[in-house]
Amino acid sequence: MYELYAQTFVNGINVGALYGLAAVGLSLTFGVMKILNIAHGEFLMVGGFFAYWLFTLLGLDPFLSLPLIALALFLLGAIFYKLVFASVARFHEEVKVKNSLLVGFGLFLVFPQIARGLWTADERAITPAYSGTSFPIFGVRVAYVPLAGLIVTVVVILALHFFLTRTYFGKSVRGTSENWKAAKLMGINVDRTYMITFGLGTALAGLAGVLVALAQSVTPDVGMEWTIKALIVVVLAGIGSIGGAFFAGLILGIVEAVGAIFMGPYSVALGLVIFLLILMFRPQGLFGKG
Amino acid sequence: MILEVSSVTKAFGGLVAINDLDLAINEGEVVGLIGPNGSGKTTSFNLISGFIKPDRGEIIFNGKDITGFKPHRICQYGIARTFQLTKPFAGLTALQNVMIGMMYGEGKIRSVAKAKMECEKILEFVGLARRGQAPVTSFGTVDRKKLEIARALATRPRLLLLDEMMSGLTATEMEEAVRLVKAIGDSGITIIVVEHVMKAILDISSRLIVLNYGEKIAEGEPREVVRNEQVIEAYLGE
Amino acid sequence: MIHWKKGALSAGIVLILVLIPLFVQRSDIITYLFLTLLYIILAQSWNILGGFTGQQNLGHAAFFGVGALTARYIWLHYGFPLPLAILGGGLATAAFALIIGFPAFRLRGVYFIIGTLVMAEILRMVFDNVFPRADVMPMKLLATYNLAPRYYVGLLFAVLSVVAVYWVNRSRIGLGMMSIREDEDAAEATGVNTLKYKLLAFAISTFMAGLAGGVFAYYTAATKVGDLFAPVWTFDAVIIVFVGGVGTIVGPIVGAVFFVLLKQLLSLYLPGGMHVLVFGVLFIVVVLYLPGGLIGLMAKLRKKPA
Repeated sequence: MYELYAQTFVNGINVGALYGLAAVGLSLTFGVMKILNIAHGEFLMVGGFFAYWLFTLLGLDPFLSLPLIALALFLLGAIFYKLVFASVARFHEEVKVKNSLLVGFGLFLVFPQIARGLWTADERAITPAYSGTSFPIFGVRVAYVPLAGLIVTVVVILALHFFLTRTYFGKSVRGTSENWKAAKLMGINVDRTYMITFGLGTALAGLAGVLVALAQSVTPDVGMEWTIKALIVVVLAGIGSIGGAFFAGLILGIVEAVGAIFMGPYSVALGLVIFLLILMFRPQGLFGKG
Repeated sequence: MILEVSSVTKAFGGLVAINDLDLAINEGEVVGLIGPNGSGKTTSFNLISGFIKPDRGEIIFNGKDITGFKPHRICQYGIARTFQLTKPFAGLTALQNVMIGMMYGEGKIRSVAKAKMECEKILEFVGLARRGQAPVTSFGTVDRKKLEIARALATRPRLLLLDEMMSGLTATEMEEAVRLVKAIGDSGITIIVVEHVMKAILDISSRLIVLNYGEKIAEGEPREVVRNEQVIEAYLGE
Repeated sequence: MIHWKKGALSAGIVLILVLIPLFVQRSDIITYLFLTLLYIILAQSWNILGGFTGQQNLGHAAFFGVGALTARYIWLHYGFPLPLAILGGGLATAAFALIIGFPAFRLRGVYFIIGTLVMAEILRMVFDNVFPRADVMPMKLLATYNLAPRYYVGLLFAVLSVVAVYWVNRSRIGLGMMSIREDEDAAEATGVNTLKYKLLAFAISTFMAGLAGGVFAYYTAATKVGDLFAPVWTFDAVIIVFVGGVGTIVGPIVGAVFFVLLKQLLSLYLPGGMHVLVFGVLFIVVVLYLPGGLIGLMAKLRKKPA
């Protein structure tokens, strides 16, 4: 019995780290730009397929491909910001959020179709030689791939934190998120800050996508599901709380994994229940400021 | 007494915006609420109209405790307000703007046809006769302010809160606005005006209340109050 | 005068639609007409909340699905008469909607949009897992399956939904809803109970979405339960409303006709599913550059004859 729960707990942490990483990018763009990019999961999907390409065509190890994917998705995000989101970012707050959601909704339709054209509708997973191997500890089997994924996630989030708090550019990002008008008066190029922030958000989605393709699999239609998970995590953490998103991701992962023992197929509904409870009793989220 | 605000306090984070404020407004008065920037004038309006809830204290309107009520209920009890930056229903016609006030405010006329007739009269009263079918997006500053007042009047208020209605107006427009406020006062509606333009406020008000740092520092007959040393100091210190 | 003309025109269109099955025997044409009618109901239902009240529901499929599932279940398995089953589906949907509507509307901003999106997708996953097999009509019904009654049921509810939206739009309730769309603070200050009217608009909207689901449940011979909750129902409704003209009565009708026609046209020339790509791009272009949709475009062109 202990083994079952302990193993489930470990599995929950593995999945939860992915949820957390998927949510961090979404939380970053929303916190800074007040744009809610619900096509976030689509960028995750694209990152997963890119890594799959690099692995199958060039034999590049997925962990080595991480920086390449981050760069590629950063550029893709910057392009999409310029193409569609830049004109949304100029509206005032409420209109901005609503229009960004609609535009993201449109991208939901566009991305899977393109992905089907490029990669067919098949389910793809990255399977290097070491995938599936694991080591035992305290009666629990810990697989190498998710463990490495967890480490990558933690490193990426710490790097992001360092970037936002210690660098000049990071400070300008935070300044813009506090008050973009004031930031503009201080000489910060708001449009460029937005573009880079959006690119960072999609780069984070791409990194999460690599880990998803490695630990699970990707299909052209997987984007929506990951957006939903990320949204639940973001609301659970508190909208705009970047560090909180990681921990909220872990919580959702563990709750779902443990819930599956008792509820079977219904356990996916737990996310919705958590979401509603948060809305009713703690709308600022677990880690948000009251 | 139509409105009684007693020992109301409101803080945002660590900043005390309104500190232990007492206001007493008599029926039929036109009271000017003045003070330097950030002294808590608009916050007082937001408290009275229910947009923010006080941390402490109570607000009694017409004998009823309305503390913590939602804005729409307060409006239905007979307090209407305008906003410093006008907030018209921009996608609708001027007439529709006013009709919403008529059909949802204190009067709550439910028949569309009847509300239309009444609202035409109100538009005429504020100086927007025959502009009813115009989209609000075609309105300039002064017309937007008039529309905002028309919409507030349509809710049939007993107390009207006017927030900075003179700002952005030319001298002639201001004279017109002063006449309008006086006419509203003459019709028996109690008014509180927040205003920066001193000449206008002296013309309109029968009594002045001065706020500074969220506290009341003076009140009384307008021309006496503006000679009060504490008041002068508060303004010069700005 | 104008009202009289519009009324006569509408009555004429409805009359033609009533007579069509008597003269047209081709089942593909009747099917396209039926789908257009179904989309009109679905798009009008979205428009009540998203267009008139300004609260975008990105999980509309959930309500279509609840209505369809409820109606089909009580019709096929409990033997309810069809009209009652469809109405029951609508009512169940509206009741269900309040579970998410109440907590989400108490908070402002994006919570409602996120809430509806999350709910729809999770319901789809749950139903996909719980009912993996297709739900097929009993043989007895399949043997006598006839398109014409489906068409008439679709027509009836499409007309009812247009009339309902027309009525709401001209009433006190409609003004209250539009005031929320334009400015929530100003609406509250003007005496509108914004929470109440958002919930009311949501209830009407989801009731109608549930009816659309019921009509579809009556039409479809076999469906996977999860597909009733598929996001495509939301996509289609939202695209139709925006392309036609958001917040107008005629917009969803024009949008539905345009959508069904273009979809058929595209499927002739493009590989399967690619029409979705075209609609996605079209939708983004409309949101960014043509917020009035086709109706707005026509109005502009009429004002400035080129």
